[in-house]
Amino acid sequence: MSEFLLAWLTVLPSYAAPLLLAGLGLVLSERAGVLNLAPEGMMAVGAMTGALTVLGGHDPWTGVLAGVAAGTALSLGFGLAVVVFRAEQTLAGLATVALGLGITGVIGRAHVQKPFEGLARLSETGWGADLPRLIGQQTLLIPVALVLLVAVWWVLFRTAAGLRLRAVGEDPAAADVAGANVQAIQLAAVLGSGALCGLAGAYLSVASAHVWVEGMVAGRGWVVVALVIFARWRPAGVLWGALLFGGTEALTLRLQAVGVDFPVYLGAMLPYALTLVVLTIASLRRGASSGEPSALGFIYLRQDKH
Amino acid sequence: MKAPNTILAATSLLALLLPLDAAAFELKSAPKVAFIYASTAQDGGWNEALDAGRAAVESELGLDVAVAENIPEEATRLRAAIDLYVKRGYNIIVGTTYGYSEAMSEAAAAYPDVAFFNASGVHNSENMESFYARTYEAWYLAGIVAADASESGKIGMLAGFPVGVVNWDINGFAQGAKSVTPDIETVAVYTNSWWDPVKEGQVSEAILDQGADVVATDLSAASALNAAEKRGAKSIGYQLDMSAAAPEGIVTSVVFHWDQYLVPRIKAVIDGSWEPEEWGYFEGLSAGVVGLAPYGPSVSDETKAKVETAKAAIIAGELAPFAGPLSSREGDEKVAAGEVLSDEALWGMDFFVTGITGTMPAAQE
Repeated sequence: MSEFLLAWLTVLPSYAAPLLLAGLGLVLSERAGVLNLAPEGMMAVGAMTGALTVLGGHDPWTGVLAGVAAGTALSLGFGLAVVVFRAEQTLAGLATVALGLGITGVIGRAHVQKPFEGLARLSETGWGADLPRLIGQQTLLIPVALVLLVAVWWVLFRTAAGLRLRAVGEDPAAADVAGANVQAIQLAAVLGSGALCGLAGAYLSVASAHVWVEGMVAGRGWVVVALVIFARWRPAGVLWGALLFGGTEALTLRLQAVGVDFPVYLGAMLPYALTLVVLTIASLRRGASSGEPSALGFIYLRQDKH
Repeated sequence: MKAPNTILAATSLLALLLPLDAAAFELKSAPKVAFIYASTAQDGGWNEALDAGRAAVESELGLDVAVAENIPEEATRLRAAIDLYVKRGYNIIVGTTYGYSEAMSEAAAAYPDVAFFNASGVHNSENMESFYARTYEAWYLAGIVAADASESGKIGMLAGFPVGVVNWDINGFAQGAKSVTPDIETVAVYTNSWWDPVKEGQVSEAILDQGADVVATDLSAASALNAAEKRGAKSIGYQLDMSAAAPEGIVTSVVFHWDQYLVPRIKAVIDGSWEPEEWGYFEGLSAGVVGLAPYGPSVSDETKAKVETAKAAIIAGELAPFAGPLSSREGDEKVAAGEVLSDEALWGMDFFVTGITGTMPAAQE
């Protein structure tokens, strides 16, 4: 039993990390008031670019950075559409998903299913061979993800820039009057979300699967959209949510392997069911906010009267 | 989307009660062939195996075959593609997924002069034939290889959804393994996805964590084999020869040879001698539509000989992977002594044979 638990805890980070990274990205974007439904597409370009970079003979870390760059580039398109041209955010997000999936299908088609040497686990590196299994089985991206978690929290809640970002998400008009550059802040937040989603995508291909195939994000981007609501737009909540959602998936598969009769379809439903529960509780508790930024999805135009 | 999902096959039999016209199908114009894929043709799995068949049709019959990719499994989208091809004079159309079944069947009724084929489809008519392979026969052979390669007495298999065509692969694999090592344990895990390389790699590790030292995949992603290779375990691929993903540890792959079906079939359409199978085309090792890829470096001559013996016996009809007496893991008798599991029961297979560890989630309705 303890063997089973240890094995589960060992793989838990690899299930949770992509959700955590993309979730942090969404917190950035949505705290600034930009509803971002595009993680599935931004993760897709990150996964493909990361894989193709490594397949092209580069170091896995270069691949990870390329994935980050690709996610950022796609989010620039989304950011320009919603922040500069004020496109409707839901539609622009969905269009970005379609664009990301389409681009990866076209560019990556010649590189499907080609295994490559991805990011090494710590135990596979020269200096990490003696680490205990729980740590040795992780890649260096796991501590990087934790550092990013703290960094996002710190920027949002401990810096003036973060205060302005949250102010824009709560009341762009007031933030504008107070001197915040609403468009610049929102665009920066969207680019940050693209970078983190690109990293999450690169994690899937370069750190986890070591192969690229079309559509390999496989719905994780949509789980992240729900996860951020579940987390009530808090970085720590994203961590717990990622551990819970990722942990459930890992547990479901492992319970199957030992033959425990577990309702797997209920397990697959869990992220969405819990998100509904959180939303319902938030709306039942009168006065208590769901944590949703007040101006989420709102298109701010300076000349509009309120 | 990519892999066959033929659970409805059994129920669709009801729709096929009308007797077929015995007359052979005749083309009214020069043959023009089109293949339609639900994703990219070079997907490294199911579609790529079919596309190899398409290439054989081109080279062996000297035809130029049109290809449409990424046509979603939606009736309107598929029908639009078919309409376009028919309008341009194409008269042999090959679909490649279960999800095309309904729309293709309607198109076949609307265009009686066009010959339709559908891989892992469920409908058949005067001008339409669905085809699939008895993959469990090849998985039985793979089970023999796996059992011989295992030192721990535990092997594993990851699969997509708990539907008949998947369950018979797992059971066939376990039956083959037991024929060599009667007390071998087969760990089976469903990913509940047809296409998620990240999860397939993770499930492969979960199976290895259970003590298995051979992992077979009933899915398409190389990541499952890659994960096994890293842990020094043996592996078995599916759909195509996956040895590139695990050059050391791979023992073999269960592969399709659709050219063995498509080339003679399309030739028959052109000759005017094609009569669609009433229940669809469903053959195995004897027809050569499935088999094993070249063995990996660790497979012994002794194992190869065992496989050859079993293969010859299956082809000769002396050996059936699901011959009675056969009980489910829970002890229910599924096949009586002296009988063989019927095709109808195969399509609806919803049990594990003995020796399998793992949970079969409630079958989808």
